[in-house]
Amino acid sequence: MEIPILSLMLLVSLVGALVTFFMGKNPKMAKMSALVFSAIPLALSLFMLTEYVQTAGGYQFEESFTWIESLGISYMLGVDGISVPMVFLSTLLVFLAVIFSWDIDHRTNQFMALLLVLELGVLGVFTALDYFLFYIFWEVVLIPMYFLISVWGGPRRAYSAIKFFIYTHIASLAMLLGIFALYFEAASINGSYSFSMIDINAVSPMFGQTFQVIVFGALFFGFAVKMPSFPFHTWLPDAHVEAPTAGSVLLAGLLLKMGSYGIIRIAFPALPDGASEWQWVMVILAILSIVYGAIMCLAQKDLKKMVAYSSISHMGIVMLGFATFTEIGIAAGVFQMFAHGLITAVLFMMCGVVQHKAGTRNIPRLGGLASKMPLGATFMMIGFMASLGLPGMVGFVAEFSVMTATFDAFGWLLLIPVTSIAFTAAYYIWAMQRTLFGPLTKEVDADHLHDVYWYEALPMAVLCGLIVLFGMFPALVMDYIRPALGTVLGLLGGI
Amino acid sequence: MIPLEFVLMISSVLFVIGAAGVILKKNAIMILMSIEIMLNAANINLVAFSSYFGDATGQGFALFSIGIAAAEVTIGLAILLNLNKLRKTVNVDDINLLRW
Amino acid sequence: MDILEFAWLIPVLPLLAFVIVGFLGSKMKDKGGIVALAGVGGGMVLALWTAFELLTTGRIYRANQDWVVLSSEYTLEMGIYLDNVAAMMLIVVSLISFLVVVYSLGYMHDQGPRRHRYFTEICLFVGVMLGLVLANNFFQMFVFWELVGLCSYLLIGFWYERPAAARAAKKAFLVTRVGDVMFMVGLFILFTELRTFNYESVWGMLDSADPTMMAFAAFFLFGGAIGKSAQFPLHDWLPDAMEGPTTVSALIHAATMVNAGVYLVARSFPIIATSAEVSLFVGAIGGITAFVAATMALCAPKIKGVLAYSTVSQLGYMILGLGAGAFLWHHGHHVAASVAFGAGLFHLMNHAFFKGQLFLGAGAVIHFVHTEELAKMGGLGKYMKVSMITMLISCLSIAGIPPLSGFWSKDEVLAMTFEAGDAGLTFMVLWILGVLTAFMTAFYMFRMWFMVFKGQPNEGTKHATEHGGHKHEAPVSMLLPLVVLAALAFGSGFSLFIGDGFFGAIYYDHAHVLSIGERLTEVFTSPLTYISIVAAVSGIMLAYFSFNKTKVSAEKVVSKGFPKAMHQLLLDRYKFPVAYDKIGYVGVYGTSLLLDKFDRYVIDGIVNGISAFLIKSGGVVRKLQNGFVQSYATLLLIGVSFIMILLYVVGVLR
Repeated sequence: MEIPILSLMLLVSLVGALVTFFMGKNPKMAKMSALVFSAIPLALSLFMLTEYVQTAGGYQFEESFTWIESLGISYMLGVDGISVPMVFLSTLLVFLAVIFSWDIDHRTNQFMALLLVLELGVLGVFTALDYFLFYIFWEVVLIPMYFLISVWGGPRRAYSAIKFFIYTHIASLAMLLGIFALYFEAASINGSYSFSMIDINAVSPMFGQTFQVIVFGALFFGFAVKMPSFPFHTWLPDAHVEAPTAGSVLLAGLLLKMGSYGIIRIAFPALPDGASEWQWVMVILAILSIVYGAIMCLAQKDLKKMVAYSSISHMGIVMLGFATFTEIGIAAGVFQMFAHGLITAVLFMMCGVVQHKAGTRNIPRLGGLASKMPLGATFMMIGFMASLGLPGMVGFVAEFSVMTATFDAFGWLLLIPVTSIAFTAAYYIWAMQRTLFGPLTKEVDADHLHDVYWYEALPMAVLCGLIVLFGMFPALVMDYIRPALGTVLGLLGGI
Repeated sequence: MIPLEFVLMISSVLFVIGAAGVILKKNAIMILMSIEIMLNAANINLVAFSSYFGDATGQGFALFSIGIAAAEVTIGLAILLNLNKLRKTVNVDDINLLRW
Repeated sequence: MDILEFAWLIPVLPLLAFVIVGFLGSKMKDKGGIVALAGVGGGMVLALWTAFELLTTGRIYRANQDWVVLSSEYTLEMGIYLDNVAAMMLIVVSLISFLVVVYSLGYMHDQGPRRHRYFTEICLFVGVMLGLVLANNFFQMFVFWELVGLCSYLLIGFWYERPAAARAAKKAFLVTRVGDVMFMVGLFILFTELRTFNYESVWGMLDSADPTMMAFAAFFLFGGAIGKSAQFPLHDWLPDAMEGPTTVSALIHAATMVNAGVYLVARSFPIIATSAEVSLFVGAIGGITAFVAATMALCAPKIKGVLAYSTVSQLGYMILGLGAGAFLWHHGHHVAASVAFGAGLFHLMNHAFFKGQLFLGAGAVIHFVHTEELAKMGGLGKYMKVSMITMLISCLSIAGIPPLSGFWSKDEVLAMTFEAGDAGLTFMVLWILGVLTAFMTAFYMFRMWFMVFKGQPNEGTKHATEHGGHKHEAPVSMLLPLVVLAALAFGSGFSLFIGDGFFGAIYYDHAHVLSIGERLTEVFTSPLTYISIVAAVSGIMLAYFSFNKTKVSAEKVVSKGFPKAMHQLLLDRYKFPVAYDKIGYVGVYGTSLLLDKFDRYVIDGIVNGISAFLIKSGGVVRKLQNGFVQSYATLLLIGVSFIMILLYVVGVLR
């Protein structure tokens, strides 16, 4: 008998959230329960990785039940090569975030429960094959993140949380409008109402040109805010600066990916002609995000804000890859999503560690941390190096290939985004020089500065290991992604 | 039989009188009475159309409306009595607590 | 057993040592030194064996493996391509690396637990450099190229708590990164035009490729070499890189980092040769670098500073040779082009030996006196006989005194530049620069040598030798590499006369086989040879008179007027560091601060503005809620009436 593995993942995280929530009396039990309930989906996703047939293409592990028949809404789940790495990433990051948050002592049960609710939402987004279901999960994600920021956040948490919520919620509404437009348009062609992605995408070539352009605009706005792309990015640095570390990890590692995932899963297949009309907007926004984000990083004094801006730059690379409409570009873009998820998690964890140990994240006030926390410095260095695209680390192949695809598609335009590679190196190397190297500064309390604890070291070690592993053998991930792109490319190729 | 237009005219006039009363009168009791006038205008319409179409539904609704109007006046007067006790006034210009 | 089948083990052994030392080294008694030695040594044995096999049989070994497939037409590959050029590189890299590791066992002895990190990073450095040499395509070369850059970053910043070291490491990484970006652009052009990165496929397709794009590709690939091999105007990181341990400097300057750039130029030689302009550019950059760096070495105050500038200068020679070769090839002089190609690499090899020796010798000196200032040394010859003699050999070699190795290669580079002068007058100018550089090289090397080993003992020397300081030389593990490298610095030039000769083995497309007699006749009948010898000897003489006999006082010369200004300019390195800082801090950082303001006040201003507008307008509208029931009713009535009238006008009610 087939195990409904995807539903099981969702169910486990939901049940886990409830169980954890009701352990308010005993924080230790809450932590253990969160650990167990986040380990199960991770195990399931590993099982899924082995069971998934890479060459088959199409959706696998499909589950489909009618939910609201009269409106054509169904509970449909399934994964393909694009979502498989994302599902793995989600379960992994939530698991590691739970471990990393071992020292949370304020409302522990609620914190852990929210992490699991977040996992439910993110996994739902990455596996839903029904637009309505997709939207529901999309909104489910917002709520725990809002509370994570507004309850466990920094001093300006109220402002940041509400900004995050409203900004991304407006984007969601634009996306919802787009989804409804698709629903009614597809119904007028199909003759029957259905929210199923498969049904709607099947008739996408028959959508009118104007319709496609308008609806793509709405969807693209929704996803671009989430990614986030210049100029809709300002919620991100604020949210990151105030969010607790685990929240930042999941925000950058998973929530941003939802935006790019939406583009590749919804906007492209449903509206290929619209995409081609918007191609230059995407290219320009992507290039602006890449270069602008990189230059902004140089100016940042707050380590975490710098990492936040670097996310903007790196998600720009994803969008640039997508916007080439070539197999190389899209494949590399998807790979970059995965890579960025791993790398940025390490970086945000390290920001949390620095804040925790040194008492400040202000780069000019830091210095000489390497002598007091060699292990932490090593993790930070691996993270920074991976993020600046060093070969042998996971980010390199994606970045390099996106740039190749860009030159192939747009020629000398490449010279603009390629400068970001130098800028990226500049801000990371400079930040490293000022925080890790040199003598210890007066502002840092040297006596209390000790190396990372086990619950901080373990997640970072796992992530660094994976960064190097997938950096040396990118084919391990690429072999999932590449065969799955046939459908999208087929539709885009029809332009 | 009286033509429908006449009845409608009467009810319109009644309605306008009632509306004017609601807007212009300062005494809350007078406003309540004006509301009753407006309600009665509506009732007349209901009954008139009922007889015009030969359908008893309208009359039924009119009865409902009268009943509800009675209940409403009861509550309204009770509020006014309490108000009078507390604030020693039934002038609506003095009662503007429910604002921004 | 075919040794070439095991060529992949050459980089893997040091990398294995890297992993072992990295994870377990801290527990070992010597912090992983022995494991590092074994790994690098194993790699060296295999490399030498492989090189021997390649050079004696003239075989070319190819292996290829898909690394990652991104699309039907875009597969990134990892493979091995071994020809004689790679064989030469293998010898140079593995041998010097091994000697450096041996030396490090003694040199780093007092560094305690830090040696763990040192040996870890050294193993990685050697491993990735050997991987770079083995690469069979430009992409793979880039991968290892970047890792080489990483290792140099880590090692230059080895004493990270010193701000100067941290700054130097940053500078090295960022300046070479600029070159790397250009290298990447070159790769993108290659892929877009030719759909492959493989050396042989690229070389084979050049005839049918678009010449303009190939010229761009050559230009950008060379841009990578400019950064990595510290060519003008990206040369300024290398002198700063002296902040690392001396062994690291030796490794960077002789065996690994900077040679990577020259190797890249050698591998992209056919692409460069497709364009006369780019060839000329390469040659010009080489010549200018050689000259400019040599001038800066003239008055460098630190011993390692002199050596660093000298490295930059010598790298300029190599690039000049390769550029002249490409230029000659473009103009149809195929045999001369092959010799020029060989000459550039010949100089790479010879330079690696004598520069490796010089750095290790300088390390021994620094180890002894605990200062790098030349002015504080002097008279050390009494205490450090071995260092003095071995360094003398290297100095003579780099100065170009026959029959030491530096003479043969430098002479050949200059001769080929002169020959290229027939086809383009610019190379005539570059030849003159080259000869002047040869003169200056001889001068500054012997200035250093005299200041260190001869003359009066100055404070550093006194401090080290008095007060019961150690009066003996460095331990054997440090002296042995010095002697071996000095022997190579003396004799590596004689590879011209082994078998088919150097140019019969290392060439591009046309072997140039000459017997010993023919070679000697060719060299010593040319007037050019005597010009360079005269230049070298006069340089040495000048140094002798000003720094040993003090007949000519250098201080007096630079005390006033134009020479003083010039001296200051040279000490300021032609203001290059200032210019870098201006570009970096004022240009880029300033822009970023401006953009930060833009982000904060304009973009976020708009976002906050929208929300503020909504809040404000809510504040205005809520005034309507005034609490007077009658005004609500009035509004309601007006509203309803308005809608009714509207509907009537529109016609819905009619």
